[in-house]
This record gives sequence, structure tokens and C-alpha cells, in this order.
Amino acid sequence: MKNVTLGQYIPLDSFFHKLDPRAKICAMIAILIAVFIPAGFVGYGILAAVLIACILRAKLQFSFVIKAMKPMVMMMIFLTIINVFVIKTGNLLYTLGPVTIYDDALKQTAYIIIRLALMIMTTTLLTATTKPMDMTLGIEDLLKPFEKLGVPTHDIAMMIALALRFIPTLIDEAERILKAQASRGVDFENGSLKEKISAIMSLIVPMFVSCFQRADDLADAMEARGYVVGAKRVRYKQLKFGRGDYIVIIGANLLLALMIFLAYRGTI
Amino acid sequence: MPIRFEKVDFEYSPETPFAFKALTDINLELAMDKMTAIIGATGSGKTTLVQHLNALLLPTAGQVTVLDWQIKAGQKFTKVKDLRHRVGLVFQFAEYQLFEETVLKDVCFGPQNFGVSEEEAVKIARESLKIVGIAESDFEKSPLELSGGQKRRVAIAGILAMKPQILVLDEPTAGLDPQGAENMMELFRKINKENGITVLIVTHNMEHVLQYCDEVVVLEKGQLLMQTDIKTFFENYEYMEKANINPPAIIRFKELLRKNGLEISSDVLDIDSLAKEIAGRYRK
Repeated sequence: MKNVTLGQYIPLDSFFHKLDPRAKICAMIAILIAVFIPAGFVGYGILAAVLIACILRAKLQFSFVIKAMKPMVMMMIFLTIINVFVIKTGNLLYTLGPVTIYDDALKQTAYIIIRLALMIMTTTLLTATTKPMDMTLGIEDLLKPFEKLGVPTHDIAMMIALALRFIPTLIDEAERILKAQASRGVDFENGSLKEKISAIMSLIVPMFVSCFQRADDLADAMEARGYVVGAKRVRYKQLKFGRGDYIVIIGANLLLALMIFLAYRGTI
Repeated sequence: MPIRFEKVDFEYSPETPFAFKALTDINLELAMDKMTAIIGATGSGKTTLVQHLNALLLPTAGQVTVLDWQIKAGQKFTKVKDLRHRVGLVFQFAEYQLFEETVLKDVCFGPQNFGVSEEEAVKIARESLKIVGIAESDFEKSPLELSGGQKRRVAIAGILAMKPQILVLDEPTAGLDPQGAENMMELFRKINKENGITVLIVTHNMEHVLQYCDEVVVLEKGQLLMQTDIKTFFENYEYMEKANINPPAIIRFKELLRKNGLEISSDVLDIDSLAKEIAGRYRK
């Protein structure tokens, strides 16, 4: 279970790791929008080149990024099949009995797969270089304007922070219980339906019990240290914008503008 | 039928940025029918080591032999279930594994997984619960109603009910009150001596090691530091100091006596015989 790559922070020392989380989130949003602009293969080529350069700069290994894409492979295959059967425009490329393949179908599929891959590259770049805690600080700050509308931004950020904080703990816990039950002869892979249900129950019940217990203990510990819901809080870690942060935001927005320009030129 | 580790390495998350080598070149042969303590500082690889005994972890290099089974690095091990039936592993804070509606049902769970009929399982479960000292009146209660120490006992009964030949316990007394911990160690000693079950116990408590165990295995940073019998182990005071092991009170007392010019035989390892020894010399 330790092999969950999607959304995992990789502690390294690089330009991207040192950036302000707010800058990274803003840049990510700009690039995600850019990914969804139909700028043609030239546009995607440019985006991919920029993202690959960024991944190199962040000192991340490509195998890591590719591993993050693995969960999406099934979806990509599924989309390919659907597209090939549904889209019937453009030039006929191939016929085999009732199966006909048109070039538009392939083009559309290629677009979708490229978009998904670019999206995963972008989000992985953000999550792999940003500590979960910094991320929540960034989200909290970015949500600040909504506070005037009555959105409890601090509480939301605290909840996200706590949830993120407990993911590794709960994974460890699940692994421990899994092993303990495996020692008692539970087979989580084979067996009849009844045995499978009993196997899953032997994991879920203890997880529930310990989650509630943890939540209780955590609430007590927070209150013991003076946490009051909705109270005004100061922050130890102050986020500061540096030159790199401006460069990243401006760069991402220039990229977005370029995509819009390419898409616009493509239509006329 | 031995327990043997040959050149065993184990690495967590190999080939990732999180790779961590927990065991390095472990060569070890553990005696059957004895009670062996596995000690070492936190993070020295004790838990990782014992999880190899029932194939929860597979070595990344080398070979582990347990009873009739051999687990080789890089080879698929297919007899997992048979092995786990014979090697019972009690985890740290084992009380968290309880999940059935009643105490009795939870203890039946293990044997039933290994194909024991329900009737037979209930019979074994009752016996096991009695061995660990759970009162008949608690059998039908929910495990969640019991106290922490009782839960731990139920969890141990759940493993005993599988009738293992080797019982592995990972810090079974952590977090228990001193009396409860003593009782539990007595229980393991009894299981070992009376039922002839090989007991391996991971512990930090040197008093327990001295009082109840026969052999000691010391790990440090994933490597085997030494393996010896209790007497030899506690004779070497300087070594314990160097390895940052806090010796039991009686050993410290003997060391102080020695420094003050009173040499006591290394056979004297409990308060009674020490008191007799001192009183005997005083009378002379």
C-alpha cells in the first residue's frame, strides 16, 4: 500500500520545492486551463516540453511521474474504445466488417489521452513538491476573499490539514491490521464470497474503531492546547512571495495566453 | 525443525526515494522449545525480523527456514497458509485486531480460517480463553466492552487457539500495568515450558528478559549484534553499557557489590538466591 504515488510529497531540494504554495497553486490552475484549450498538437507539444523541463528542474524522476499515471491507464483504454466506436466523422481509415475507424476518432482520442497525461504531470508536479501542510496554508490564503461571504476558510483548511495529516497514519494502521488478520489466516485475495466479506469485515471494523478513537483523542488534545473552533488564530509559518514565485505565475499565464492564441489562430 | 535466517536482507519500498534497508545480512539460528528474547533499540529491525517468520514480509535477499518451509528471496512462497497456521504472530497492541461481536467468536475466527469446524473451534476457543485468564462470564461480551489488558488477552487467546508450534510476540506487555505484564510473562513461560511451544518475544524490558527467557538475540541498526544465553548475556556488564541496554536492577546491584569488593557468582540471577548468598557470607 506504500506504493500510492498519486499525490505523494517527495522531499527534495529544488527550485520548485522552495516556491510559495500559493504561486504553485495559481500556476497549476493556469496550466490546467491551458491543457483544456484546443490548441492542437503544436500547443500540446509546447506544454509537454515545458512540463518536462519543470519536472527535470524539480529533480523528480520520470519513473515516479509515469507511476502516477498508472491508475489512469484503464480509463485511457476505455476512452479509446468508446471514441473509436462513436465518432464517425473525418476520413475513413479502416474497415473490418462492422468496425469502421475514422481519423477524427483517433485524433479525439489522442487529444484526450494527451490532456489526461498533461493534467497528471501538472498535478504531480504540484503535490510532489509541496508539503501537505504548506498546501493547506496556500489554500487557506487563496480562499481568504470568500471569508467575507461567510465561508469558514480557516475551518476548511484545518479539516483538510487534519485529513491529510492522518492519511499516512491510517495507511500504516490498515497495513498493521491487514497483517495481523493475515497472521490469523485471513486470505484477502482468494476465497468464496462469504470468506471475502468476512475478510473485509475483519479489516473495516477495527479501522472504524481506531478512527473514532483517534478522532476523539485528537479533539481532546487540540482542546487541551487551547484550540477553539472559530477563534481568531495567528500563524507561525508566514508565506512570502519571492522573485521565483512571480516568474512562475507570469510564466504559466504567458503559456495560457499562448495556447489561447494558438487555438484562436487554428479556428481562422 | 529449526528457525534459520541465512544472509537475510530486507528493504522497505526498494527502488523508490523511500527505500529503507531494515535488515542487513542476518545469519541466525533459533533454538526450538526455548523462550528467546529479541531486543534492540527502536528502529533496530526487531518487528521486521519477526514478520519474516510467517511470511508477512519476504526477504529481499537470502533465505529464511521455518519448520519445514523455506522462504527464498525472489521466489514465490506458496505455502503461506500452512506456515501461518504453525507460526502464530501476536502484533504490538494486538487488541486493535478484535472485530467480532463477541469475545468467543473472535477467538474462534483464527482456527476457523484454518479449516477447523465451528464446534471444535468453540471448544478450542474456550480452552484458550481460560489459559489467558478470561472469565467465562466475559465470553459473550463484545470485545469493545473489555479493558485494555483484557482485550490484549483475548487477542493472544485468538492466536493460541490456532495451536501454533511457534508463538511470536511483538512487545506483548507494552502499555500494561506492571502486575498485568508480570502475569502475562508468566503465562508465556507456562505455554513454553508446559505445552512445549517455542516462544519468541520482542521486548524492551530487561527484567522480563532476565526472569523469563532462555536466550537473547540483540539487533542494532538492522544487524545481528549477538545471540547468546541469558547467563552469558547478563555477565557482560560493560557490553550492556556500551550497547545502551539498561541492565535489570539485580544485575546493577551485583555490579555495585563487585565494585565494592564483593564478587557474586554469575549463577545468582534472582533476589532470593542473592539474598541467601549475601546473608551466607555475612554470617561467616
